[in-house]
Amino acid sequence: MSCVLGISAGYHDAAAALIIDGQLIAAMQEERFTRIKNDSSIPSRAVFACLAQAGLSAAAIDRVVFYENPFAKLERVLLSLVRSFPQSWKQFPTAISSQIGSKIWILDQISSTLNIPRNRIFTTTHHRSHAASTFFPSPFDEAAILTVDGIGEEVSTGMWLGKNGSINCIKSIQYPHSLGLLYAALTAYLGFEVNEGEYKVMGLAAYGTPHFKEEFASLISLSPDGSFELSLPYFAFHTKTDIGFSAKMEKLLGPRRDPGKHWDFENSPHDRKYADIAATLQWYTEEVLLGLARNIRQLTGSVNLCLAGGVALNCVANARLLKESGFSRIFVQPAAGDAGGALGAAILASIDLDGKYPSPLNTCALGENISNDAALKLVQNLGINHTKPDDIFSSTADLIADNKVVAFASGRFEWGPRALGQRSILAAPQDKATRERLNKVIKKREPFRPFAPAVLSHRAGEWFEGQDCDMSPFMTSVANVRPENAKDLGACTHIDGTARVQTVTELSSPGLFNVLHALDKKTGIPMVVNTSLNGNGEPIVGSALDAISFFVSHSVDAMVVGDILLKRNTL
Amino acid sequence: MSLHTLITKIASHFVWRTPERSAKKFFEFALAEQGSMLDLIAAARLTESEKRRALYVKHMLDEKRHALMFSLRSAELCSQAGRKSYGNLHADIENLFQTLGEARFLAFVHIGERRACQQFVVYRNLFKKQGNKTNKSLFEAILKDEQRHADYTWGLLVEITGGEQAARRELRSVQMWEAWRKWRRVGRSLANKLFVILSLFIYFLLAPYAVLTRLFKRQRKGWSVPALEQEIDRSGSEQQAKRVQTLENLSNSLVILNNS
Repeated sequence: MSCVLGISAGYHDAAAALIIDGQLIAAMQEERFTRIKNDSSIPSRAVFACLAQAGLSAAAIDRVVFYENPFAKLERVLLSLVRSFPQSWKQFPTAISSQIGSKIWILDQISSTLNIPRNRIFTTTHHRSHAASTFFPSPFDEAAILTVDGIGEEVSTGMWLGKNGSINCIKSIQYPHSLGLLYAALTAYLGFEVNEGEYKVMGLAAYGTPHFKEEFASLISLSPDGSFELSLPYFAFHTKTDIGFSAKMEKLLGPRRDPGKHWDFENSPHDRKYADIAATLQWYTEEVLLGLARNIRQLTGSVNLCLAGGVALNCVANARLLKESGFSRIFVQPAAGDAGGALGAAILASIDLDGKYPSPLNTCALGENISNDAALKLVQNLGINHTKPDDIFSSTADLIADNKVVAFASGRFEWGPRALGQRSILAAPQDKATRERLNKVIKKREPFRPFAPAVLSHRAGEWFEGQDCDMSPFMTSVANVRPENAKDLGACTHIDGTARVQTVTELSSPGLFNVLHALDKKTGIPMVVNTSLNGNGEPIVGSALDAISFFVSHSVDAMVVGDILLKRNTL
Repeated sequence: MSLHTLITKIASHFVWRTPERSAKKFFEFALAEQGSMLDLIAAARLTESEKRRALYVKHMLDEKRHALMFSLRSAELCSQAGRKSYGNLHADIENLFQTLGEARFLAFVHIGERRACQQFVVYRNLFKKQGNKTNKSLFEAILKDEQRHADYTWGLLVEITGGEQAARRELRSVQMWEAWRKWRRVGRSLANKLFVILSLFIYFLLAPYAVLTRLFKRQRKGWSVPALEQEIDRSGSEQQAKRVQTLENLSNSLVILNNS
């Protein structure tokens, strides 16, 4: 038996993935345990939870692989700081303290945390981890691979070929020319938090029109060979690390938006302008990705594309790639960001160790299970009214059909940033008012944030066009809503007529599949609004304890925790 | 009047002098409440007693609410003062439950809640005197919870340790630990300052390298293949070839065995 553990940590989204005899057993993010969103600390809790899933102790691990090379990263940081001398003087002490004080010792820290010998801990490279995380769990034997994120060791964008059971780097673009960093800088400019607000920018983009193409042409230039170049005077990656843009960008686009300010598209011309900037950013992101995809398509001749890296979570761009890049199939695994690096690192080591390859990913329920026993004891001790229905899924469907908002925690939690029916808030998709209620009252978030529909896979075509792709089970793409049936989707059609649809099968999400099946029998519409089970700024719920705490502090109508149903007294 | 209350009373006039300072103070309180919330989540997860788990969950939800109340008030005051808000809360986690064990963790929480009660009474009275109804009611509302937290943690501490005397011993032990932690924090902060000075000294020594780097190690534009990846690809291909060779050898041997 071979047992390999992949780990990502140190920057954001720390995670662990466990592979035994080539098969993916568990993959979890540390934030689900510590309850710190995007937690970057060594994922010790996630590691032990992965091991517990397999009934093993740390001593059974043959190899631990860290998802990037900390020493190559140190070299890049040092070089960049020296290169931007003397403007980088303020960042130098902090960057050096963080690198030399902790980051280059991460392999030793992992060794002592897990109590395993240092010689069992290896590294790979950041973008190779990304490439492996998407190619090997994909349904393809051969594919072109694009990895696009902020920054790895020195690479920001990579082109790879996956073939004959291995991946090889074709070419890459290096820091500071980075699409991810451009997106991050504009995210900060629009008043959102970097590494957290990027998907808000994507939602906001649909409310604007790309009127700022001329200004953006000063920020980034695209080449016919698919490469791109940032105009560095507009950015400040090494002098203003929290925002990443310079005063020159504010001269170009106007003053940045104040973080936390209320959005008002109707009465504020400024907010409409910011939406236009977001739309232009989205347009440029799509153009860059299309350029890259067309180039790699030409180079490899492949008809399959695998995408990874934080930018691959841009589902609007992914849908456009599928339509316009010339690839017949595209795959994006659910944890495409840095957390996914843990999965890629583990797969690479597993292949290296015993030549075994993982099966294609068909579910992202790879986390910790809900403990029915723990849930029952906690609700009893908290004095919360509860029942144990004979058919919990049918009861859930009854509530949804009755227009109630139900928090749903069932089975193992999801791998990646999307709630795909294991830790979700579910509601009927028809009523637009549901969307208002979810945004304002329950999730307390920006009014422009869309909600996604989850639908039985074999019925999806009735409501969506072009939904049948390799990405829809993981909600990493969008589809157009069929106008004739748009009335059924008032709560989850975005302003641009699209929806980030999730297609559900019995294998991908058994609990949600049963709810949708029951709902189909009751209403004829096997579809729900599916949004993540978390409060504003919090990680998605992990354990029964988190779920019950959510129920107590948020105004959902009911909650399913394992086999227990909790209802508000007013119901 | 305790020394802590006296210091709080004297300092309070400076702390709440302007909306900017008040906003900062409220944000600090919000961070402290969020940090406490994270510690209580860990406690609820790790305790072996179902009864205590439920109590920690209740306490955690209070801390979460307090963090929200303080941060909203901070944002409101920032807006009044015409400055940007302090942004999202990102409290650190200290793993106190694992570090201290349950009894000392409870003693730590009890001391913190008692201290907060004393502090908030001073602030409530100050705002009452000033006629600042918003701040007064905010502290009044949270004060009730803090009092309840101080009471239940004391009850649990006595129960776990087996009596009031043993509970007091835990309190003293935690107070010593806190003093030691404060001392180490002061040391760390001084060391940080020294590190900044030294690293800046090194930074300016690197000036000639900045020129060399710009000349000989230019930032790459467009496509390239990083040396690190090339190296891995080469060794990967060699390994793959070896693996194929081994498999071929194995199948050849099997064929020979079969034939024989």
